[in-house]
Amino acid sequence: MSPQSGFTAEVYQNPYLAAGAETVDAVITVTAGEGGAAPSPAGTPSAAEAIMIDCSGSMGYPRSRMTEAIKATGVAVDTLRDGVLFAVIAGRSRAEQVYPSRGMVAASADTRAAAKQAIARLTPSGGTAMGSWLALANKLFAEVPAQVKHGIMLTDGRNQHETPEALRQVLAECEGRFSCDCRGVGEDWAASELRTIASALLGSADGLEEPAELPAAFRAMTEQAMGKSVADVKLRLWTPAGSTIRFVKQVFPQVEELTGRRVAVSDRIGEYPTGAWGAESRDYHVSVQVPPGTLGEERLAARVSLVSDDTVIAQSLVLARWTEDDALSTQINDRVAHYTGQAELAEVIQQGLEAREAGDDATATAKLGRAVQLADESGHEQTAKLLRRVVDVEDAATGTVRLRRDASSLDAELTNVRSTKTIRVKRS
Amino acid sequence: MVIAQTIDCPACGAPASAGFRFCEACGTPLHGVPAPSAAAEWVSSSTAPQRCEACGHTGFSSDGYCDQCGQRGPTGPDHSEFDLGPVAGVSDIGHRHERNEDAFALGTLPGTPLVVVCDGVSSSSRGDAASHAAVDAALPVLRTALTEGSHPERAIARSVHAAREAVTAVAGPDQGNPPSCTFVAAVVSAGSITVGWVGDSRAYWLPDGGTPCCVTVDDSLANELIASGMPADEAHAQPHSGALVRWIGVDADDGPPKARTFTPEGPGRLIVCSDGLSRYRSAPEALASSTPPGPPLAVARQLTQLALDAGGVDNITVVVVPYPPAAPTEGSAQ
Repeated sequence: MSPQSGFTAEVYQNPYLAAGAETVDAVITVTAGEGGAAPSPAGTPSAAEAIMIDCSGSMGYPRSRMTEAIKATGVAVDTLRDGVLFAVIAGRSRAEQVYPSRGMVAASADTRAAAKQAIARLTPSGGTAMGSWLALANKLFAEVPAQVKHGIMLTDGRNQHETPEALRQVLAECEGRFSCDCRGVGEDWAASELRTIASALLGSADGLEEPAELPAAFRAMTEQAMGKSVADVKLRLWTPAGSTIRFVKQVFPQVEELTGRRVAVSDRIGEYPTGAWGAESRDYHVSVQVPPGTLGEERLAARVSLVSDDTVIAQSLVLARWTEDDALSTQINDRVAHYTGQAELAEVIQQGLEAREAGDDATATAKLGRAVQLADESGHEQTAKLLRRVVDVEDAATGTVRLRRDASSLDAELTNVRSTKTIRVKRS
Repeated sequence: MVIAQTIDCPACGAPASAGFRFCEACGTPLHGVPAPSAAAEWVSSSTAPQRCEACGHTGFSSDGYCDQCGQRGPTGPDHSEFDLGPVAGVSDIGHRHERNEDAFALGTLPGTPLVVVCDGVSSSSRGDAASHAAVDAALPVLRTALTEGSHPERAIARSVHAAREAVTAVAGPDQGNPPSCTFVAAVVSAGSITVGWVGDSRAYWLPDGGTPCCVTVDDSLANELIASGMPADEAHAQPHSGALVRWIGVDADDGPPKARTFTPEGPGRLIVCSDGLSRYRSAPEALASSTPPGPPLAVARQLTQLALDAGGVDNITVVVVPYPPAAPTEGSAQ
């Protein structure tokens, strides 16, 4: 146990490999602040919050979209702890600072009231260039010393007024500097864009069915940001000489590919960003290819550590043991199997919806059928329910489905944006 | 044999409570534990890993794996033997296991051989690291406690505490399946024998004449059930009846070890062993009839060979202490 740090790391794997086998898979469950108390080794960290509100012309149709966005931003401002630095940004083809007029300001009764006055005057007009909004937030965050930097971005449309390349470049500049949760409202936002931004910035992406849901969503995102008590935690991976890291993924609460984000510490050691932690639990799937060992030997395939401020706060060992006993080596750990399925589920939903949009009905039907089957097998009811908005299910067990002609673009985007959300293995 | 609550003063023969340090009649120390001599130290089967068997690299991480290739580094040798004269022991990897997860340490105070045997729990990770850390921590504490005048049962309890701390330190931040081991210690003095244990490693008293017995009672599920009133045959028929209910490890309870002190009625031998031997000669009579006469090391070797010939499915550790204890000789290790 690591009671000092409040973090625990548990490994789930089958360490037994058949002679000559090389692939070692493990799921690592990292839990911070067991029992609901936030882990806080050095007191509450300082925080900064940037709220980016889409104020493009379409936000005025229907009117409730802008009025709910204004209300929601006020709720977010009210949810900030006293002293948290914040700023509100209006997003159009360019970003414009709404409050304060420059820099960031500490939350207090006065600044909250002033912010809400400024927010109330927001009017919809112009286009959408999300990269410019994020770039302004990044500039504001760079000027303040806060430990936890968090953004909220709301949009109702696609990133029409800048190139995908421009957005990619801004994301590269923002990566590791702040985290950002993205929300879409209305029918015209693109799930793939929100997922790209949220994924790069270690945040969540989601869509809302109705503008009226905005205030509650903004409160939840702000509360979660305020609950972060350990900033900048990294997943550190030691792997043996001659090994290859096949992949490193967060697999709960949502699938997040981390493989390409490795920062090498030494030949054997690399680190992957996990952002800030509150009282929460996440699962990671690590897959390593190691040189085959001799029968009967045990080898360390990976040492998985959680690191904060260069201090190891939790650690787990992933082992490999070579055996002639097929009964041992052929078993697949149930969590590894479960998350392999959940990752495939996210992938086939995205591929199916992409094919559907491209008019490739055969591929769309096959992929979404497989998705329905996987959601059914794993008991992922939320995703099964979303899938029924885009396909009619004839037989979930075999994945027999027909594309629904009456599915709206919101149905497809919601299914897409939530495709990466996973559930934990059901305990039998 | 008699498991006595009282012992006789070795000097004047007056009965005395086992809990007393000195004879109330004549003032003689009851447990025969004078100050330690500088020469009589202690030995253990623990050796630091030298070079990785797989890649030849010399660096090992604190959790025991090669820094280079990840190969598990050896904690102790596959086979070790020690002969301190009044006590000798053998530990062997056996035929089936990949490493020797048993560990033992032997020591002497004048006239008092000391034994600690630990068996790494193979279902835990790095059981060998636990067993070696435990014997290395326990034996010096056992010596010191006895030197300071602790009753042997109290001294063994203190050594168990030290073993727990050492095993906790070995566990480090690894929270998966913390290293664990069993524990049995024996203090053999002129007037009495004390055995303390946690788990299912055993001590047998084999008198030269008379009925042999097993001094320890395994901390097993079956014995717990029997203690709570279940008939023995029914308890042993339960699934997992042999499962350990107590061990040394981060995930174990930290109650005191069970302990027994008794005064043998005549000469004999105490056999302290891991279940690598006792699984083949569980009944005291069976072990007694298989134990040949001879010097302790020769007997330990023969009992080890017996376990190997019977299958050697587990690691085997056998320590032999003749009673009454002989004078110590120059320690030698192989």
